[in-house]
Amino acid sequence: MSDRTLGWFIYLLAVLVVAGLVHIVTILALPHVATRDSYARLATIAQTNRFTPLPSPVPGAELLPMQDPAVVRGVCRYDVNNGPVRVRAEIAGVDGLLTLSFHDRRGASFYATTDRGGVRGRIDVVLLTQNQLEALEALDSEDEPPQELRLLAPTREGFVLIGSLALDPGDFDAARGRLSSISCAQENLRRQ
Amino acid sequence: MLNILKSTTAALLGAGLGLYATWSALERDAGFEMVQIGPWRSTPKAAFAAADPYTRAALARNAQVPLSPGEGLMFTADIDETGAPLLTRCDYILTSPIPAARFWTLTPMTSKGALAPTGNDRTGLTSAEIVRDSMGRFEIMASAQLRPGNWLALPTEPGFMLALRLYDTPASSLASSMSVGQLPRLRRGRCI
Repeated sequence: MSDRTLGWFIYLLAVLVVAGLVHIVTILALPHVATRDSYARLATIAQTNRFTPLPSPVPGAELLPMQDPAVVRGVCRYDVNNGPVRVRAEIAGVDGLLTLSFHDRRGASFYATTDRGGVRGRIDVVLLTQNQLEALEALDSEDEPPQELRLLAPTREGFVLIGSLALDPGDFDAARGRLSSISCAQENLRRQ
Repeated sequence: MLNILKSTTAALLGAGLGLYATWSALERDAGFEMVQIGPWRSTPKAAFAAADPYTRAALARNAQVPLSPGEGLMFTADIDETGAPLLTRCDYILTSPIPAARFWTLTPMTSKGALAPTGNDRTGLTSAEIVRDSMGRFEIMASAQLRPGNWLALPTEPGFMLALRLYDTPASSLASSMSVGQLPRLRRGRCI
């Protein structure tokens, strides 16, 4: 092999190494630098620690892509910086599908359940940090175990997507009604 | 001098190539964990933070919030069972079986995955609307023209995509080991 061919070979190799590095770095960095991700889009219409019904997806104006048009949705954008956040759904007597999926700031799911996962007629989840969990456990009484599910929030901000399935076009009002039992609110740790 | 020039062009070429590779990987929207079963494809673990980097990057970019396995599972198809692309000038016959699920919905979308106007107010079908025979089998006719029986109205643009969402289903954890016979057949009927 002449020096010249070797030179071109090294040049090509260098191009490929740089390309590989740039490709890997951009793929890994994208979730952290994306400015129009699911959380950011939900943040444009949803306040923190309050349940907000989402507008039904209409062709050409979808807040989040690839959402089921048969499902009426609402969101609870949580922020546990100032205290735990309780998400509650009354499901006693609810006939139909109700889904709750919990997502971190990057949109990744860390817990999901449906109305079938409820206990004693309700779904009761408290999102908190490690410190808040310890503080809450210190307040727990010995004889009365906590009734709610306590989940450590992987990131301090995130969102809970709630869905209610409309079984046919005439069922949308009922599906919207099922969402009225959802509450999402910040808890006061020193309540009792 | 020549060396500096060479390394600069190598770096620029490499960066360009790397960015192009990232862009084309995201456009193709295919992560490592995607399963293809006949015409149907699914990424059951897409919702999790542990999903592969390509899936996570694509989700951050398009702001999609996939179904969590705790809620359900989504399959999409943009080809029929022979591998030919789905066209709205053709009729398609979708026949049972469908994996066990409490509810399911079938939604037509544009070939890019957006909701499409169908010319009427129906955005899809749900498991509750389907007419079945005495054995529980069913046949859905997907067509841009009005059809008798279980009719799924197709959008007006030339190409389309179907989304089959199963809610409250044991299939969430089994998707990667499913066989073609467990998912609906998707046959092409007459074309105009």
